[in-house]
Amino acid sequence: MSARVNMRPANKNTLLKVVILGDGGVGKSCLMNRFVSNHFDEHSFHTIGVEFLNKDIEIDNENYTLQIWDTAGQERFKTLRTPFYRGSDICMLTYAIDDKSSFRNMNMWKNEFLYYADIKENTYFPFIVVGNKSDVLVEEREVSQLELETWCNENGIASCIETSAKSASNVQEAFKMAVQHWLRAEIRADRTECTYSDTVDLNKKQSDSRSSCCTGASED
Amino acid sequence: MDENIPDEVLEIFTQDGVLLTTAPAAYIPYINTVGTLSIVEYPNSNLTRCVEWKPIDVTIDSDMQDQEWQVVNTIAKRHRSLSGNFPVEVGHRSKYLKINMNEIKSFRVTTKNQKLAFRDGKGDCICTFVFQHGNCDGLVAVLKGIHKTVVSRRDKHLYCIADDIKNPERQQLDKSFAELNLFQEHSSDYVWKFVKNFQNRPYETTMEAFSKITDIVYRSPDHRLLDNEVNDILNRSLEAIEGNTTTHSHDEYEVVAHVPKLPERKDYPRGRPLSLEQWKALQDHDGQVEDIDAVKLVIFRGGISPNVRKEVWKYLLDYHKWDYANNEQQNLIKQRNEEYFIMKLQWRSMTKIQEDNFTDYRERKSLIEKDVNRTDRVMDYFAGENNPNLQVLFDILMTYAMYNFDLGYVQGMSDLLSPILYLMDNEVEAFWCFVGFMNKVCSNFDVDQAGMKEQLQHLQTLTAFIDPEFSNYLYKHDSANMFFCFRWLLVWFKRELSQQDVMRLWEVLWTGLPCQNFHLLICVAILDTEKNILMENNYGFTEILKHINDLSGNIDISAIISKAEGMYNQIIAAEHLTDSVRFIIGLPMLGNAIIDSKEASPDLSDLAPCSTNGEVDEASYESAISNSFL
Ligand SMILES: Nc1nc2c(ncn2[C@@H]2O[C@H](COP(=O)(O)OP(=O)(O)O)[C@@H](O)[C@H]2O)c(=O)[nH]1
Ligand SMILES: [Mg+2]
Repeated sequence: MSARVNMRPANKNTLLKVVILGDGGVGKSCLMNRFVSNHFDEHSFHTIGVEFLNKDIEIDNENYTLQIWDTAGQERFKTLRTPFYRGSDICMLTYAIDDKSSFRNMNMWKNEFLYYADIKENTYFPFIVVGNKSDVLVEEREVSQLELETWCNENGIASCIETSAKSASNVQEAFKMAVQHWLRAEIRADRTECTYSDTVDLNKKQSDSRSSCCTGASED
Repeated sequence: MDENIPDEVLEIFTQDGVLLTTAPAAYIPYINTVGTLSIVEYPNSNLTRCVEWKPIDVTIDSDMQDQEWQVVNTIAKRHRSLSGNFPVEVGHRSKYLKINMNEIKSFRVTTKNQKLAFRDGKGDCICTFVFQHGNCDGLVAVLKGIHKTVVSRRDKHLYCIADDIKNPERQQLDKSFAELNLFQEHSSDYVWKFVKNFQNRPYETTMEAFSKITDIVYRSPDHRLLDNEVNDILNRSLEAIEGNTTTHSHDEYEVVAHVPKLPERKDYPRGRPLSLEQWKALQDHDGQVEDIDAVKLVIFRGGISPNVRKEVWKYLLDYHKWDYANNEQQNLIKQRNEEYFIMKLQWRSMTKIQEDNFTDYRERKSLIEKDVNRTDRVMDYFAGENNPNLQVLFDILMTYAMYNFDLGYVQGMSDLLSPILYLMDNEVEAFWCFVGFMNKVCSNFDVDQAGMKEQLQHLQTLTAFIDPEFSNYLYKHDSANMFFCFRWLLVWFKRELSQQDVMRLWEVLWTGLPCQNFHLLICVAILDTEKNILMENNYGFTEILKHINDLSGNIDISAIISKAEGMYNQIIAAEHLTDSVRFIIGLPMLGNAIIDSKEASPDLSDLAPCSTNGEVDEASYESAISNSFL
């Protein structure tokens, strides 16, 4: 699979594909750059097309390579953005806390993702909701913590966090949280696999193909 | 008579000597009867494709057929859904046992490929055939051409049809994110079209589509799924035109590649930029430019000197007219000035309440604001907080959204405007020049992105024509969609080049020389420069995307323009120049390299890297074809 990017002699390294979605201008690219290179550029370009960066992290003594995909948010580019949702392990839904409409649009982003990532109905998918720009002045805030938590509860999403790419607050934590959340979802899926022997084949293949980037498991 | 009955029938495949051994209740009387099995298409009906079987020399009378259908509905519960989809037909086709392709979820091939059972995916067998003359390889090949199939992991004789997105096997396949179905159609459709045409007009179809199909089989991202049979048939038919093709083995496939060589690429050194003196000399005393072609040629060869660039851009971008005398030009300028401020006033005079009640407008405005803040802020001209030039950038984009309300503002436009504004340093002039540029590239911003998709396909065609080996590489690495060139195309390399370089490149491209879509050849030239790195490292889709994105700032644009010009000259001198390439670069088409227009979607013809124009004996061709199919 072409997703194997870094061949490392390390014992185990799990490659996870993370897609960051949200309205234009909420700070997706800034979050990615802060996380990957700990750098913030106030006047970086708006994203055209699709970009991704890789970042290795260690969580609970396990190594992960996060392949983070960042896309252009404008509706116009939908058809060229959505093919990249397939095969995602984690989806990070983002909004800016000083922009209410970006918060409202998360429904749209969540649905778009579920549809195009081809997630089977009734399966649990690890979403994480990120409210960026937490550094802005209190009077500029348009979305409260409570609203965020309520939305997540209503949508069955277990993890959410407020971040600031600008002041480097909670960015590492957000990605770490996303991976831990993914792990829990995986464990849950494994359990289901044991209970329903009928589905073993499918689930097995799924976890095989994502388990490690060193084994180079080929198709079939 | 029922008017909905499809009248036009296309037979895709037919085989005699096929024994029916298991059948729906209605056909029990015909069990163990020999007949003809076909795959047919009803182009005018939503039924589209069916498997049909007809007993030899037996006429089923239609009364009985009606009765039988009723019987089916009452007694054979499990066939109900099936029969519901059976067309109750009149006319000669009514005696056929007919199975809608949609009903078939898998098929199982056993007994030395002599027995084939169609299954409904719920564990039931719809019907079974035994092939008394030969085997069912031909049928299987055609089925595989029509559908994506995968061999079941549990039963190697069972082929599951993977087209259905609800099919769990298919979902697994689609997990691969590199499989970007940007072009909608699956390669199996090409094979299928080919196979269909093959039957109808074997000679022409093959001569025209041949290279396309081998390429698809060879390079398709689904190559895992198009296995041996389709290949076999193609290869066997190919032996007939051995003359100017070469056969060689590649991986598990026997691949036939016909790769005509392009003429050698020559050097086209860049020229000197158009100078102020030259420009003055080319205008007459009244300001009219007499020899427009000569000006454009100089610009194409070497660009424009900075001290005259501002003036000449106004002509290249249709703000000034080449053939206007000074006074006419002045009138036009005056008129456009007024027009601009009228349009600007339209949005400037919106009241707060109007804005509150106009969501579309507000969203547009907010997006422009956000993007203006993220456009070329490293350039002195746009740097710093509260830079007044940002306001001008904003105003022009807002006014453009009023000028072309349907298009509005789309991300990427601010990139196209920025160098123009920087050079003009004048709001109205920059606006009209921007309009001129947008007129050339507005399809990049289509709502459905059709313009971008078309360009990516054209790029694929050109790459395949100029460099089949590299093109093969891209196919084999899930990258034939050329998506990684998206940013290049959307904003004409703006994000890849320095301000100076991008201005040089744009003025060269605006001349329209040496051919239409020359910017695509610029892409091909850059890819040519990078291909060794891509191939040596065996990069797949993601790595290619990354490599291309990271090229930004490392492109020698003069060398690239030279190379692209060299490639252009190679193309037009090529003996095997195809219509699909001619079409892209704006040469008249000769009408011999595109498949029957009814069948050929533009992208189909675009897959053609090369056409065979070798002389082949038609008779030997047809015999090869009948060998393969019967
Ligand atoms: N105050 C503040 N501004 C931010 C933060 N993150 C991004 N921005 C700004 O928001 C704008 C949009 O950021 P960008 O990453 O390009 O958004 P994207 O369209 O979602 O990728 C930029 O001008 C950034 O400077 C943040 O954490 N705090
Ligand atoms: Mg971005």
